[in-house]
Amino acid sequence: MERPIAAIGDVTHQAIPDLHKCVKSANVSDVTTEHVIDVRGLVKNFGRFRALDGLDLSVTAGEVHGFLGPNGAGKSTTIRVLLGLLRTDGGSARVFGLDPWREAVPIHRRLAYVPGDVAIWPNLSGGETIDLLIRMRDGDPKSSRREELIERFDLDPTKKGRAYSKGNRQKVALVAAFATEPDLLVLDEPTSGLDPLMEQVFNECLGEHKARGATVLLSSHILSEVERLADRVTIIRAGQAVESGTLESLRRLRRSKITAVVDGQVPDLMADGVHDLDVDGQKITCTVDPDALPIVLTSLTAAGIQSLTSAPPSLEELFLDAYRQDATTPELVDEARR
Amino acid sequence: MSTYTGTGILTRQALRRDRLIAPIWIVLLALFVYVSAAAVPALYKTTAERVQAAQAINSNPAIVALYGPILDVHSIGELAMTKATVLYAIFVAILMVILVRRHTRVEEESGRLELIAGTAVGRNAPMFSAIVEGAVVSLVLGLLAALGAIGGALPTAGSLAFGATWVGIGLVSTGLALVSCQLAASARTCAAIAAGAIAVLFVVRAIGDISAQWLSWLSPFGWNTRFRAWSEPRWWMLALYLGSFVLLVAVAQLLRSRRDLGSGMVAARPGRATGSPRLGDAISLAVRVNQGAIGVWSFAFAALGIIFGAIAPGVSNLLDSPDAEQIIARLGGPGAMADTLITAVLSLVAIIVVCFAISVIAHSGGDEADGRTEEVLATATSRSRWFAATTLVAFGGVLWLLLVAGFFLWIGVGAAGAPAGSHTGRIVPAALVYTPAAWLVIAVAAALFALRRSWAVIGWILPALCLVISLVGELLDLPDWFVRISPYAHVPQLPAAAMNWTPLLVMTGIALVVTAFGWWRFARRDIG
Repeated sequence: MERPIAAIGDVTHQAIPDLHKCVKSANVSDVTTEHVIDVRGLVKNFGRFRALDGLDLSVTAGEVHGFLGPNGAGKSTTIRVLLGLLRTDGGSARVFGLDPWREAVPIHRRLAYVPGDVAIWPNLSGGETIDLLIRMRDGDPKSSRREELIERFDLDPTKKGRAYSKGNRQKVALVAAFATEPDLLVLDEPTSGLDPLMEQVFNECLGEHKARGATVLLSSHILSEVERLADRVTIIRAGQAVESGTLESLRRLRRSKITAVVDGQVPDLMADGVHDLDVDGQKITCTVDPDALPIVLTSLTAAGIQSLTSAPPSLEELFLDAYRQDATTPELVDEARR
Repeated sequence: MSTYTGTGILTRQALRRDRLIAPIWIVLLALFVYVSAAAVPALYKTTAERVQAAQAINSNPAIVALYGPILDVHSIGELAMTKATVLYAIFVAILMVILVRRHTRVEEESGRLELIAGTAVGRNAPMFSAIVEGAVVSLVLGLLAALGAIGGALPTAGSLAFGATWVGIGLVSTGLALVSCQLAASARTCAAIAAGAIAVLFVVRAIGDISAQWLSWLSPFGWNTRFRAWSEPRWWMLALYLGSFVLLVAVAQLLRSRRDLGSGMVAARPGRATGSPRLGDAISLAVRVNQGAIGVWSFAFAALGIIFGAIAPGVSNLLDSPDAEQIIARLGGPGAMADTLITAVLSLVAIIVVCFAISVIAHSGGDEADGRTEEVLATATSRSRWFAATTLVAFGGVLWLLLVAGFFLWIGVGAAGAPAGSHTGRIVPAALVYTPAAWLVIAVAAALFALRRSWAVIGWILPALCLVISLVGELLDLPDWFVRISPYAHVPQLPAAAMNWTPLLVMTGIALVVTAFGWWRFARRDIG
C-alpha cells in the first residue's frame, strides 16, 4: 500500500490537534461513556476454521476507532458479525446496545457501511445507486448531502455501475454513507482505491463526521491514515485482539529508539531492557524498554550528553511488532500489556 | 509470441471448469437419444403402425411446427428421433451458449479476462480457446448421441449422420454465441441476444416447415431435418454447418478487434443522475434489476403465443388426403386437435417459464457472492424483505409470463378463427392452470438458495428434471408414480379436459410451505 503523499496538507493540521485532544478525552471518558460497539469473547467458526477466537472490541461514542490486523486476521468477519450478516458461535456482540443478529434493522437505521470491495449494480447509474442506498436507510436523498458530496468526491453520477473503476465504486458507497449523517460509520478499508486527492476529501469528511459527535469503526491497512485519524486502535491477529488502547498508551508499552552523542566515555548500557545497542565512536543508538528508560538516561547524562533524540515507536512499528508475535503465544503480549 | 499463444492452457482450464455442467448435459442428451431409440419397438409393433404414426405427425402442422416434418415415413430412425432432430437440438444450442458465454463475456465482465490478458497469453487466445472448447464439446456430444442411437438398435450409418447434425448445430451455436458475446457489455444481455437468435432460427424453421419450404433452408434447425440422416444422408450439407461456423467465428473476431476490452458494440449511454423515488426498497430493486429480462421473456412468449395460436386452428384446412382426415377424425376432429396442440405448447411453456424464475434466484445468489446483498442488508432492509423480494419477482414473473403466453395464444387463435368443437375460449385459464406446478418447482429452487448461497444454481437442474421425468416415463412406459414425481403431471390438461381444483390447491399449499421454510432458513444463515 502506498503512503499517502498529499496527506500532509490542511487536513493533517486540523486532524493532529484534534487527535490529541480526543485521545485525552477518550482516556477520561472511557469508563463512563456508552459503548457504541461492545464485543466480548466473540467466536466464529467457518467449518473447522476458527476465524474469530474470543475477540474483544469496544468502541465508545464519538471516537474514531482504528481496527488493524493482517489479511485474514478476522477484521471483515468481525464487521460482518456487527452488521448481523453472520451468526456467532460464542461470545457477545452489541451495537448501540442491541444484538446485531436479532435487531439488525433498528441498528442499520443509525449506521452506514462501506465495504472494502464495493460491488454495485452494473445496470444502475451511480446516482441511482446512491439514492437507492439512502432510501433503503430510510433517508431522503433530496434533503441529504448527496449533491455536495458528489461534487467534493468529483464523481460522475450518470455513469452505469459497470463502467466505474474500483475507486469510483468506492466513492459511490462513501457518498451514500456520508450523505445521511449516520451515528456510526463502519468502514472496511475505505480508501484502498482512492487517489491521494480523494483520500484527502475522505479525511475531511471523516473529520466533519467526527465533529458532529458521531462514531467510526475504521478498518484500514494504511497506518499513517489510522495514526492521523484514530483516537484508539485495536490490533487483531488470528481472531484475537492483541493490542487495544489509545496510541499514546500503546506507545508507552513499547521500546523507544534512542540516539545520543556523548562527550565523555561511552557508558556501558548493557542492561535489562536495552536492546539493539550500537556504539559508533561517541554515537550510541539503542532501543529501550519503557522501564529501563530512567537508568539509560541517567547513564547518558553522567557521560555528558551532546545531543539526544528519543523517537516513540510509530504505529507501523507497533503493528509489525504485533504481527511478528508467535501466533501460539498471545499471552506474552498480554503480559507485556500489563 | 503469436496472438494465439496460451490457447492450450486456456482450453484445458475451460474444460476443467466445465467438468460438471458439460458432462451432465451431454450424458442427459445422449441418454434421451438412447431412450427414444429403444422405445420405438414397444410403441409401434408393426411397420404399418410406424408409417401411420409418421403420417399422423406430418398431417398435423402444429406438431410439424414443433418437431419438423418426417421426410421418409418408412424410416424407423426418423420416427424415433422426431423430437431429437429439431426440438432437442435446441438444448445442444443452449449448452453451447452457456459454455461460450461463460468463457468469453462473463470472464470479461468479471475482470478475470484482464488478469489473463496481462499474462503471456496472446490477444486471440481467450476467444480461440472458447472456439476449441465449443468444437470439442460438439464433437463429443454428437458422437455420444450417435452411440446412443446405435445402442437403441437404430441403423449405424443413420445414427452417425444424425450425430453429425448435432455436431453441426453445436458448431453453429458456438459461432452464434461468440458473435452475441461481442455485442453487449453485459453478459446477461449477451445471453438474451443469443437466446433470441436461437428462438428466431427455430421459428423461421417452424414457419418454413408448415408453409414456405425455402425458409427452412435458412435455419440450421431446418438443415437437421433436410440432412436426411436416416435415408440418404446429404453429407454435402455439412459444408453448410461448417461454413456458417467459420463465417460466424470470422464475424466475432472482426467485432472483437474493433472494440475495447470490457465494452460492447454500442457505447454505454449515461444513466440518470438521481434515482427515481420509486426505486427505494428491496422489491423495487428486484423488479428493476430483472425488468430487462422480464421484457425479453414477455416478448418471446407473446411471439410464440401468436405464432402457435395462429397455426393451431389451421390444422383441418391443410388436410386433403383421406388418410389424414381419418386420423383427425379418430383424434376427435379439428377442434380436438387444436386443443391438443395448445395443451402441448402450454406444457412446454410452463416448464420453460421456470427458467426465468431460476435466473431471478440465481441472480440473487450472484448479488450475494459479489457483496451487493451485504450492502443492502447493512441498510434498514431486513433479510425477510430481501428474500421476499427475490421470491415475489420469481413467483409474480412466472404468473405474468404464463398470462402473456396464454393471452397471445388466444389472440392468435382468435385471429385465425377457432375451429368448431375446440375449447379455445379457455386458453388463458389453460395457461394459468400451470402456475401452481411452476411455483412448486420455484419454491424448491428458492429453498435450495436459502439453504446455501452456492446452491442457487442447482435450481437450473429442476426444470430439466421435470422434462426428463415426463419424457422418460412416457417413452419407457414407466409406472404412474414415477411420472407423478413431477408437479406438471398433476396439472389438469385444459382447455379440453375438465378443471380440477384439488391438485392445484394442494400444490399451491406445498409451494407456500416450502417457500416459508426457505424464508425461515434464509433469516438464519450466514450471508456471503
